[in-house]
Amino acid sequence: MSILISLFLKLSAFSLIAFGGVNALLPVLFNLAVNQEHWVDVQTFSDYFAIAQAAPGPNFMTVTLLGWHIYGVIGALVATFAIAWPSSILIFYLQRLIMGIKDPLKKKSIQYAAAALAIGLVLSSAWQISLQINQSVAAYILTMTTVAITFFTRWHPLYLIVIGAALGLSGVV
Amino acid sequence: MSGFGGVLPWARRTLVERDKILTSEEFSAILGICQIVPGPNIVNLAVCIGSRFGGARGAIASVLGLTLGPISIVMVLALLYEHYRYLNSVQGVLRGISAVGVGLIASTGFKMLKDEFRYPAMLIVVIVTILAASYFHLGLGWVVLISSPLALVLAWKKAHTE
Repeated sequence: MSILISLFLKLSAFSLIAFGGVNALLPVLFNLAVNQEHWVDVQTFSDYFAIAQAAPGPNFMTVTLLGWHIYGVIGALVATFAIAWPSSILIFYLQRLIMGIKDPLKKKSIQYAAAALAIGLVLSSAWQISLQINQSVAAYILTMTTVAITFFTRWHPLYLIVIGAALGLSGVV
Repeated sequence: MSGFGGVLPWARRTLVERDKILTSEEFSAILGICQIVPGPNIVNLAVCIGSRFGGARGAIASVLGLTLGPISIVMVLALLYEHYRYLNSVQGVLRGISAVGVGLIASTGFKMLKDEFRYPAMLIVVIVTILAASYFHLGLGWVVLISSPLALVLAWKKAHTE
């Protein structure tokens, strides 16, 4: 029971600092789940990350899976609720405030500033998580190839995930 | 439920192009706000759009509608994972997918970065944020404290140049 409460509190706090979305803060989540709380080991974390990427639905399902690991179905629901409720309440009230800003320059400035911050966080996140998750040179090459393909083509991400799965299955990565 | 590789593009297609619930500008404006506020972007988006049409109840309904299906699927996958995780083939598949998954996150960042070249001074914010987070390993609170004043000043200038 105490582990459930700790899960709820830690993830609720995480929700309120998750600027740029959950994927921008994967390293923080990793640190929390693996190093601080010892909810899972490195391998399980990266497997859950993979499952969340491959499954349909929002990418923050990594959090749901962590909850499931700790306390089954109840853990999964608690974790998902914890990650969503603080920020949901915040945005419920903030959206009217921000929409209500009359000066278009102010509105734009806030959006530009947030975008730049988010880009920095997302790129740092990808960098730090790749250092934790990729175990071989081939894995890094696959990551970089994915970046190149999505940057220069309009392929659906699902194709890349299938290709990644096939390469992993055949033992290349 | 059909949100493979993230739900955002799908949400846009359904709400703007198919059902015409929102105009493209409204969608971008709402999305912009959702990305400022912390928390899962897609949940924030569901709260914003749901509350526009049904207040607090609408917000709750759209968040539940968005998450319940995927949660059930992911739990079935978790069960399968528990049973078959020892298999070399399963480990290989997940290794491959996670390498691609990291790449997908990075490419989201790079695509957003492309827009920043229209006002290159903004790149300073990106660089400072990356250095603070990845090189100096500062906690997120510090990163935000250091980067956001700089971001606001430059964003104010950027908005005035347009």
